[in-house]
Amino acid sequence: MQIDVHNLTYAYGQKLVLQNLSLSLQRGDYVVVRGKNGSGKSTFVKCLLGLNAVKSGMIFYNHQDINNFKDWTSIGYVSQKMEDFNYEFPITVNEYLSVSSLRRTRQSDRLRMLDKMGILELLNQNINNLSGGELQRTFIVRSMLNQPKMLILDEPTASVDVKSAEFFFQTVNELNAQGVTVVIVSHHDTFERMNYTHVLTLHSDMSFEFETRERHRQKEGIQS
Amino acid sequence: MTLSFFTDLFQQDFLFRAMIAGVILGIIAPLLGSIVVIRRLSFIADTLGHFSLVGISVSLFLSTLGFPYFLDHSLYLGIIFSVVGGLMVELFRRSYKNYKEISMVIVISLGAALSAIFFSLSKKTGSLFNYLFGSILTITNDSVWLIFYTAILVGLLFLIFGKQIIAVSFEEAKAKLLGVNVNLFQILFMVMLSVVVSVLLESVGVLLISSMMIIPVAAAMKVGWSFKSTTIIAIVFSELSVFFGLWSSHSIGVPSGAAIVSFNVLLLLVVSTIKKLRGNKRIPKDVPTPNLFD
Repeated sequence: MQIDVHNLTYAYGQKLVLQNLSLSLQRGDYVVVRGKNGSGKSTFVKCLLGLNAVKSGMIFYNHQDINNFKDWTSIGYVSQKMEDFNYEFPITVNEYLSVSSLRRTRQSDRLRMLDKMGILELLNQNINNLSGGELQRTFIVRSMLNQPKMLILDEPTASVDVKSAEFFFQTVNELNAQGVTVVIVSHHDTFERMNYTHVLTLHSDMSFEFETRERHRQKEGIQS
Repeated sequence: MTLSFFTDLFQQDFLFRAMIAGVILGIIAPLLGSIVVIRRLSFIADTLGHFSLVGISVSLFLSTLGFPYFLDHSLYLGIIFSVVGGLMVELFRRSYKNYKEISMVIVISLGAALSAIFFSLSKKTGSLFNYLFGSILTITNDSVWLIFYTAILVGLLFLIFGKQIIAVSFEEAKAKLLGVNVNLFQILFMVMLSVVVSVLLESVGVLLISSMMIIPVAAAMKVGWSFKSTTIIAIVFSELSVFFGLWSSHSIGVPSGAAIVSFNVLLLLVVSTIKKLRGNKRIPKDVPTPNLFD
């Protein structure tokens, strides 16, 4: 999926968080978004997801204005914490993935993903009984279920063990190689597991840098 | 006494009608109730019930103005007003995004006030008791059919949109990413709920509607291990309450709606106590190893 962001400005009330942010991503690009707390990373992600209404500036998906964009199921999303998820009512992992899947998604695909993430045995477990890491792995499986054309990932592996994180990044790399555009928010300074093509650095003063992988590595003094 | 209840059930039309209505409501009330609980809208049934009561009081008022049709068909205006109340809740919910309960207080207050005004104008405050506490034993054939059609409608909507309804209820903010038109979903759900609340009003009364929808679900949540099991257990609890409620109403003459709700609460207390005694564990279950190549 192609993404074009033009002069995106976003404020919570009077407090400006993003100002005149512009970037362009082609199908299959992989951008790492980084910055300190409060620099606007999550705000940017929420704008991309249409959860923050864009009032100043524009976002286009495949040349279509985000306000008219309809194909939202082609976007897979994982956040650091699923703060909006209702955890108290009983629902099993299988039921949750089933109601979140499109018709074309097969049960065998769900099971394979769960297996690879090491949580197949949790299939019939109530989501309320899962640990933070298990829950996050469930959300990761869900984000990849519906053959996404774009993945938006906000600190997706923050509470996940190393092995699952490795599988996760490997799967993201595989999807990316097939043309899936990836936007990932990361606090990590090194991105050795990611096949990123660009880095977007947001600063607290609302300035930003959007660099190619080569430019970024050159600047950071990373050997190829 | 029990035997006479069963004999009467098949000999007395009013009791049979009440049982049929109760059984159907016992399915749709907790089915919708589970969605209402997930969406943290437990007060919504009370709110819509109060607005449905406005429709009924307006009907009674219109009948005194020379429109006798409204006297026998007060439920229809009840449904229309309930839908209006539901849409008002949605409207206010959008104005107070972080204080969603405010919307219900506004609508419930307006509903109570308008009901009082129109009941008073119609000079038929005597019937108020029936609408407050319900009278499933006096339910008419027409109302039983209306309940039946409502159940078909709810069943069809769940059959077609069940996946989306459940998914959106768990993650309302992400509804868009699930390919669901949020506005259309909210309005459809509110209309469906308004209709169900209105048909419940005649049976259990405005003050007891939410208990019929919410309490079986609250009890089932204590022991359910999945969405499906919780909903089925809630329906079983609800049906048990309908049966024992009607039986006690018939046997010792207590108001039927109140009896049904009392059994609902009793079941909740029993389930909560058992769960506490068993150490707060959900019912154990076998977790089969799934077949990867289905």
